[in-house]
Amino acid sequence: MVAREKLNLLKDRFGTAIQRADLPAEDRLFVFIDRASVREVCRHVFRQLDARYIISIGADDRPHSGHFLVAHNFAFDRDHLLASFLTQLPADDPKLDSITADVPAANWAEREFRDLVGIEPVGHAYPKRLVLPDGWPEGMHPLRKDVPWNHVPEGFDPDREFKFDEPPEGCTVVPFGPFHPTLDEPAHFRLYLEGEMVRGCEYRGFMVHRGIEKLAESVLTYNDIPMAAERICGICGCVHNVAYAQAVESAAALEIPPRAAYIRTIMLELERLHSHLLWVGLACHIVGFDTLFMQAFRIREPVMWIAEKISGNRKTYALCVIGGVRWDITPELKTELRQVLDKLETEWTAVVAAVSKDRNIQRRTRGVGVADARLVKEAGLVGPVARAAGVPGDARRDHPYAAYDRLDFDVITADGADVWSRVVVRMKEVFESIRIMRQCLDRMEPGPLALDIQDELPVGRMGMSSVEAPRGESHHFIITGENNRPRRWRVRAPTYQNLQGVPAMIKDQQLADMTISLGSIDPCFSCTDRMETVDIRSGAQRIWSQEELLRLVRRR
Amino acid sequence: MEVLILILRSFANVVVVLALAPLFEGLLRKVTARIQSRQGPPLLQPYYDLLKLLGKEDIESGESPWMQRFAVHLALATVLTVACLIPLGAPVPLAGAGDIILLVYLLTLAGICTLLAGLAAGSTFSLIGISREMITMIALEPLFAITLIIGAVNTGTFRLETVLDGSVYAGGGVPWSGLLMLAVMLLSFQAFVQRVPFDIAEAETEIMEGPLIEYSGPKLAVFKYAQMVRLVIYSSLFVALFIPWGSHLVFPIGWLLFWAKVLVLVLLVTLVAATHARYRIDQALRYYGGLVGVSFVALVLAGFGY
Repeated sequence: MVAREKLNLLKDRFGTAIQRADLPAEDRLFVFIDRASVREVCRHVFRQLDARYIISIGADDRPHSGHFLVAHNFAFDRDHLLASFLTQLPADDPKLDSITADVPAANWAEREFRDLVGIEPVGHAYPKRLVLPDGWPEGMHPLRKDVPWNHVPEGFDPDREFKFDEPPEGCTVVPFGPFHPTLDEPAHFRLYLEGEMVRGCEYRGFMVHRGIEKLAESVLTYNDIPMAAERICGICGCVHNVAYAQAVESAAALEIPPRAAYIRTIMLELERLHSHLLWVGLACHIVGFDTLFMQAFRIREPVMWIAEKISGNRKTYALCVIGGVRWDITPELKTELRQVLDKLETEWTAVVAAVSKDRNIQRRTRGVGVADARLVKEAGLVGPVARAAGVPGDARRDHPYAAYDRLDFDVITADGADVWSRVVVRMKEVFESIRIMRQCLDRMEPGPLALDIQDELPVGRMGMSSVEAPRGESHHFIITGENNRPRRWRVRAPTYQNLQGVPAMIKDQQLADMTISLGSIDPCFSCTDRMETVDIRSGAQRIWSQEELLRLVRRR
Repeated sequence: MEVLILILRSFANVVVVLALAPLFEGLLRKVTARIQSRQGPPLLQPYYDLLKLLGKEDIESGESPWMQRFAVHLALATVLTVACLIPLGAPVPLAGAGDIILLVYLLTLAGICTLLAGLAAGSTFSLIGISREMITMIALEPLFAITLIIGAVNTGTFRLETVLDGSVYAGGGVPWSGLLMLAVMLLSFQAFVQRVPFDIAEAETEIMEGPLIEYSGPKLAVFKYAQMVRLVIYSSLFVALFIPWGSHLVFPIGWLLFWAKVLVLVLLVTLVAATHARYRIDQALRYYGGLVGVSFVALVLAGFGY
């Protein structure tokens, strides 16, 4: 048993620093470690045991255990193991050593729990505010349990502006965002330019916080949350929907019926198809090749129609409940889905042939936005970005869920580590998705769609789930709770990690390559910004003040 | 009386160009749409767009509003002046008023107007846009000038109506220099009319239309109009220089033939624009550099009478 092996390795090395452990399944490991050795253990796990960093989670567990809780999640991809290293912090001293010096990928996650839960990562290299709006008062942490979900804090200062860092000597500052035609969502990159060369940048995001996690922890119930979860993202919503349901199922040790597993797989792959087709189109649009952009969207349309026929919606399929799915794939839909796949395969083959031969596109994408295997490890990059750098990470194979362990498919990799390799990986993955869906359609047996759950879900259990979204691994962490809702639910979308790799990817290349480099991770800001309650406009030219806007909104 | 006719003929050229430019633009959009499996906007959409923009509020949003207004109007005025100096299916109206040197200067001025417009707007993105535009101009302007000079060398005159009449082929024997320039101009034509893959200075997805970023309403309409006219003017120049045959036929036939040739050229531009991705400025510059090199070879050949 791999989880046991890893635990023994750690116990041998750290002895009493390992307080207790929970091995609920072969592929899950929860270890409670002593606060003083957090940094040491994480370094060992990240460097010596070569685990991949996923995310750090802060939680307010005071009402139940009297402690704050921090979890550092790591994945042992080759061993098919997800591990969480938890530390309890006393209520009156919520501090622990920052692990960013050893695990640079933890940069944002630590700043996030500093902002939202008020746990101080001591020794963080760049402890700037990340998630909370600029005018938010200090010492007010919205994810703490004593803060109601609809609380409007005293002392909110709508006029306070974000303090950007000083640009390096001899560089001009070019604002990329908050609104830019290629982004479609607000995010602000402050680029430092020397001529046309990008020398660095500062990122300010989290402008579309919707407080989904807080809402789930205080208002919604277990079976409401899947519907909220899929609204985290407009492109890969089903991924969050499934990942959440699986996290709860893993915490409560529920096994879903096989037919439900196949249907989840089909819908996830359907979503990957539409997302990859959309992305190839957008990438072409970014480099000015609008014809292929339009053709990709034309080819994608039948995928949306069949999704609508199955679920009633082009997007937001409302697929999962805890323990199963809500929609069946009838024999008629099966036939139609097969036809859609056949047509798509033919048309996509033509597109791939056209793109592969186009020297023009390759000239714009080869050697651009390089993220090599080293950066993948350091920044915890996932998905096509990692696979294009030759790192064969794919949650579908590494941490199998739904029906993936029963299917035959390849993990596509490339070795260019540039935008072109990401194009190639995504184009080929479309064919793998088609292959997966055909196998599901062949093997699906009639049977129940969902478990009949009579009892309340157990309280205080932890669950983790990784789902391979089109952009990379989406990771959900859950602690079950009272009142038919989770105590803590943390979502880590793939863009959360991939975006942290962007500054390194765009450094020392032309401004013209910035958009396609950023585009190549398929950034999803709404996924990344999924939290918190107040949206604020900040910037030099203020036309509406925060208060005026609020008044405007409330008058409706 | 003669002066009156001259004025009327110049006026006719201006009107024809102003009337046809949006139509060509509309055609370009429609054909692009069909290539992209889209329905596309109505053929007359550019006319509606211009009317709509002209009817909007004139917002002053740049650094120097006065300069901005001046720059866009100068841009349109310049290309319309050029329209009076080139044959549009009929003899050159203002043939006596200038020579090819003036033409070269006016074409450069049209480019400078873009720089001025971007500079007056003063936004970061427009400044990046004009720096790209400037690089493009420096690389490209010699090409047209060399073509005209080759024509002048071949015919021994700077007169507009002589040079703008297939003069590049007027050397003795096989017109090597002319054919070389034909190839060079065909390969660089997208850049002259600022279309993909050489719309680098505007690049919507990178620098948000560059020099145009601060323009809206009537100013944008004038600027856009100037760009549409630019497409027609450059296409006409190309036709006059490189495919002159048939332009001297009796009035409706020669005239129609001329515009048919322009139309074919516009369709070619559309096709190339719809099947290419945008180049980066350094890649484009290397490409232009090669063309400039070839055009100097052509100039030397012309000097030796080829």
